Amino acid sequence: MSYDWNASITRVLKTLSGVRKIDKVPYVPMVGEDTIARISGKTTKELLNSPELYAKSAIMSYEFLQSDIVGIPTAYTGPAEALAFAEVNGKTEMINWYDYKIFMIQQGAVCKTKSDVENLKIPEHRKSDLWKKLFESLKIVQEKTKFPQNCILGLWCVVQELRGIQAYRDMRRDSDLLMKLCEKIYDSLLDVYYYAVDLLGKPGFITFAGYSFNRHMMSFKDAMKYEGDFIKRMQKEIKIPFILHNCGTAPYFEEVCKEINFIGINGSHPLDINYWIEFQKKFPKVTIFGANIDVSREILNGTPQDVEEKVKENILNLAPSGRYICSPVCSIPWGVSLPNVMAVPKAIEKYGKDPFKLRKNQ
Amino acid sequence: MDKNEIINKLKASIIEGLIEESVENVKFAIDIGVEAKTILNEAVVKGAEEVGKKYENEEYFLADMLLAGDAINECMNILRPNLKLRNGAKFGTIMIGTPEGDIHEIGKSLIVSLLQGQGFDVIDLGVDIPPARFVEEAKKVYPDVIGLSGLLTVTISKMRETVVELKKAGIISKIILGGGILSEETCKSIGADAWTKDGWEGVRIIKEMLRKDGGN
Repeated sequence: MSYDWNASITRVLKTLSGVRKIDKVPYVPMVGEDTIARISGKTTKELLNSPELYAKSAIMSYEFLQSDIVGIPTAYTGPAEALAFAEVNGKTEMINWYDYKIFMIQQGAVCKTKSDVENLKIPEHRKSDLWKKLFESLKIVQEKTKFPQNCILGLWCVVQELRGIQAYRDMRRDSDLLMKLCEKIYDSLLDVYYYAVDLLGKPGFITFAGYSFNRHMMSFKDAMKYEGDFIKRMQKEIKIPFILHNCGTAPYFEEVCKEINFIGINGSHPLDINYWIEFQKKFPKVTIFGANIDVSREILNGTPQDVEEKVKENILNLAPSGRYICSPVCSIPWGVSLPNVMAVPKAIEKYGKDPFKLRKNQ
Repeated sequence: MDKNEIINKLKASIIEGLIEESVENVKFAIDIGVEAKTILNEAVVKGAEEVGKKYENEEYFLADMLLAGDAINECMNILRPNLKLRNGAKFGTIMIGTPEGDIHEIGKSLIVSLLQGQGFDVIDLGVDIPPARFVEEAKKVYPDVIGLSGLLTVTISKMRETVVELKKAGIISKIILGGGILSEETCKSIGADAWTKDGWEGVRIIKEMLRKDGGN
């Protein structure tokens, strides 16, 4: 029987818009290139070189995991954006390639000096072979599943890739230089976005990986200055709802939702479920993707029963109020036990059906 | 300026992360005859403690820690030869690297800076380091503590492999893992001695490890 992507689309969209009638809690696993390589048996280079193969392998992987979303993980302005900057600035030798996981750029190598930042060229993604192939893959996924596709944007993650730890020194010693870098990355993100719109149509929402919104990285004031204000500016320009992803252990979710309009937040911390219950009361229109299911805990080290208990805790506490999507965060680690991974959709089947009728703490 | 004044001035410049000013102050303190050990204990260590407190109270963040760490490093470069000559001080050797398959360096660089600032000898192997290289380097220097830093969930399996190889090779150094991807359960399953998700906490844990281990 073919996978019912139409049911998944309905489930996700209804949850995001707060419709109080869905068949079960949607499931959004975070699938990295390594997971697709593990499931499909293909290397990352093989996947990246063939849009057809990448799309097929991605769909197969998401279906295998019984996911309610599907996408191409590399179509994210993290490593792929850093690669585009490296290419256009003649620094491709700074990229490390791996067989079964995504390539990475040596942090800080592209913008090692002040002059590197000042002379940094902004990539034209239409001319990037990698981005062309990524969008072709997304297009195939969209055509085959009808699931609306888009790329995932992020700004501070690109700052870190390009400038490395020096960015944090700049924050105090040369704020203007850091802002210049942020502006260039912002322009580049818009270029990615408009390229995506041309090929795939206007998306329903944008997922924004806002890694600055984490106490371990910077103050909330700095997070707003170097990323939040850019998100606000982008929201004004493209007029599309945003979902915030932050997989850090000390995220500023409450603070940021007071400042910026997000329709959803995606994270795994704090680990106290009561934080999430209170969050839901304070922000009833913000969909929670995740709550406290951290992939480096029960899924990595526990048993399928431990995973089931964690999913149950999340569903029973958060699903009855609506706008809750089950999502372990962040990417599923390489080598994690398959029964543990599959325990998530099994637990959703067991506890997550007709979520509006679930009684809390049953 | 008397000895107390320069000590306070140096401590303040460290807390503020003012590198050039800290260097001037430490040189001035030596010139007017303040003992290196006094400069270390009264200005550098106390300054670092104050920075740590500010970090814990969320007055300071990674950027402030880093600049204070830079200031401390510069001071230590001046103080270290004097300290060794006069009292043979030994703080401990820490070897640190990001395991194979992960090239993130921000967290590692921060803790390297903080550890150096606390007077430790730090051997930074860099990023993307295979288990065999950790073993090879550990056999050369026999560090008191080995730190494995990582950002990606895929790094966890390589951390495990590295710890297994180190133990198989008979390396008895304490092992600490660092990164937001970690948890108590992961640390235990990997077989490391400790874990941390932030640099300052990591420094505290390492000091504690060495105290328990009979270090200074």
